[in-house]
Amino acid sequence: MADAAAHAHDHEHKVGFFTRWFCSTNHKDIGVLYLITASIMGLIAVGFSGYMRLELMEAGVQYMTNEDGSPNGHLWNIMITGHGILMMFFVIIPAMFGGFGNFFMPLQIGAPDMAFPRMNNLSYWLYVSGCTMALLSVVVPGGNGQGGSGVGWVLYAPLSTSEQGIATDFAIFALHLSGASSILGGINMIVTFLNMRAPGMKLMKVPLFPWSIFATAWMILLSLPVLAGAITMLLTDRNFGTAFFQPEGGGDPLLYQHIFWFFGHPEVYMIIVPAFGVVSHVVSTFSRKPVFGYAAMVFAMLIISALGFVVWAHHMYTVGMSVNSQAYFMLATLTIAVPTGVKVFSWIATMWGGSIEFRTPMLYAVGFIFLFTFGGVTGIVLSQAGVDRAYHDTYYVVAHFHYVMSLGAAFGIFAGLYYWIGKISGRQYNETLGKIQFWTMFIGANITFFPQHFIGRQGMPRRYLDYPEAFEFYHFISSIGAFISIASFILFFYIMIRTVLAGERITEENYWDDKYPALEWSLPNPPPAHTFETLSTPADWDKQQPAHH
Amino acid sequence: MSDATTSAAGERSPAASVAGPNWRDRKDRPIYQVELWPNQSLTQPGLIWFLGISAAFLALPAATIIGTAVFWGLTPFLAIAFLGIWFAIRLNGRNLSFSETLWIWRDEIRVERREPNGRRLRWQAEPFRVRLRIHKDAKIEDYLTLSGGGRIIELGAFLAPSERIALADEIESALTRAVRA
Repeated sequence: MADAAAHAHDHEHKVGFFTRWFCSTNHKDIGVLYLITASIMGLIAVGFSGYMRLELMEAGVQYMTNEDGSPNGHLWNIMITGHGILMMFFVIIPAMFGGFGNFFMPLQIGAPDMAFPRMNNLSYWLYVSGCTMALLSVVVPGGNGQGGSGVGWVLYAPLSTSEQGIATDFAIFALHLSGASSILGGINMIVTFLNMRAPGMKLMKVPLFPWSIFATAWMILLSLPVLAGAITMLLTDRNFGTAFFQPEGGGDPLLYQHIFWFFGHPEVYMIIVPAFGVVSHVVSTFSRKPVFGYAAMVFAMLIISALGFVVWAHHMYTVGMSVNSQAYFMLATLTIAVPTGVKVFSWIATMWGGSIEFRTPMLYAVGFIFLFTFGGVTGIVLSQAGVDRAYHDTYYVVAHFHYVMSLGAAFGIFAGLYYWIGKISGRQYNETLGKIQFWTMFIGANITFFPQHFIGRQGMPRRYLDYPEAFEFYHFISSIGAFISIASFILFFYIMIRTVLAGERITEENYWDDKYPALEWSLPNPPPAHTFETLSTPADWDKQQPAHH
Repeated sequence: MSDATTSAAGERSPAASVAGPNWRDRKDRPIYQVELWPNQSLTQPGLIWFLGISAAFLALPAATIIGTAVFWGLTPFLAIAFLGIWFAIRLNGRNLSFSETLWIWRDEIRVERREPNGRRLRWQAEPFRVRLRIHKDAKIEDYLTLSGGGRIIELGAFLAPSERIALADEIESALTRAVRA
């Protein structure tokens, strides 16, 4: 048996800076590392979009030109590819799943750490390696005799199998590393969630955020191997003479699209489901009410996640599928509106009759609900195979998915950071600046993406460097909105850095006075390195139970 | 006394094994016996449901491309994912599958800790020389130790504080009965 010296005295184990931040196996430190890295990658990805909106502000090509002044379409393609790959794989999911998931999921279920702390460290560094490869894919030798990969984030064959240079190989390796990181992280989250919950915390007692992380981890586990297989085959097609997707060798490029979107649609839900969890907590806290319809919220999340696996071909109605196939994918896609509606109505019902306080996290949560619903409605429009004939690959689609992701998932990240920054750092943000940042972001993002529905409907195709002057008005408005959003994003960085360095210290554990607090609100700000080494009891986390003190 | 969890994930106790007699030798009924093990929230039916659903969803993309070359490119990744989660759950279960058993007879107290790797660590002492103590200043709340036989050992470090206090009461009572018997 164990000699008693191991735990005999209460003293914190001090570790040096390098050991703590480079060799960390602590879930909270790794969560912070994910948030910082994802923020830096987000800044770069936003920079790419700013450059694109600057170019699109007026008809003609002003900035993305070759030395002789001719349009540089490859540079445009690089920006499109870089923005997509970074945002999809290296910003939103790492921030939500890696950042908030690592920091708060174990805390909310009363686990002392992740099931495999060293594997958690490996996941993070694989992610950093993937970030490096992704950034290199923008500059190393690529197509058109220039630097950078310009094949789009979807890496469609045969463009991706035939583009010159090594940039696309770097992009593929970046996705491999990101995928390996996510799968290892997902396995870690799943095992932690399933086997390390506090005694008595049955599944239907688990807070909604850990549920959202579990659903996301499960989707990662089931869909990312499909992407890994698909892009490995792309790699062998490019470098080893195979012809999985090369028509001239008997391969089928359309099959790549099928298996890509079998991963790709769950990917969209991996991005948005953790935001569901964050928003549920924020809405409950600032309405002073428990979440309405808890069980329905849990099952809605699981059903949305499951349905995400059987609707993939609605991304490719125009490839020549049979009418019956289109009918199936259309109906399956429409079905998703039901559990999504359950969630939206439950959030509204949570607020209904509550004592609502519009602090910055709540503003972001309400903004999320409104705009995610808006993006969801245009998704229903696009799910119609007949309508999609006209809208496919237009700015209508760009507007739709940015409403869901830029205004949905990103708002979820903002809500989470304002909600938990006090818990993470021990210091509180400036509320006035936070509200200014919210309103500028809300207004800017809407000015950016709302007009895009109109030019999309008028026929403006996506992924184009230039356009006829007829589209200029809405593009101009859209670019103005993007600049407002970028300014707001920079303000957000300022607020967060100022908070961490010089924000007001907060000592109250439950500083939002959450009436139905999860376990993280029983811990100091910031929580100590080791938490829940002493088991929590149901009285600590289940407010339905009588207190045990 | 079954519901508890590890004291810290990945942490190993600095255990020391002592040579002892054949611990299967005593057939007489102890005054008190208790087995302690950490909490694992995943049940066997839960594991089966989880793995079954995962296998079904992983099979879906493979099933749709049977007969194509892509099937061979994709299936190994799906298999690795399934085996990976299966292995991880089993490994975590094994890491948490240790136990401590305590027996008290009139003339002897024994504690045996079964480690995840199957190693058995043992301690024994005479009941009237054993001191039971709950530490209020320890890193672990209401940390429970037994001293005797030249060593101080911990007991139930993975239990909840309230469970350790209840356990201490039971052991104290059993030790009293053993000494008086």
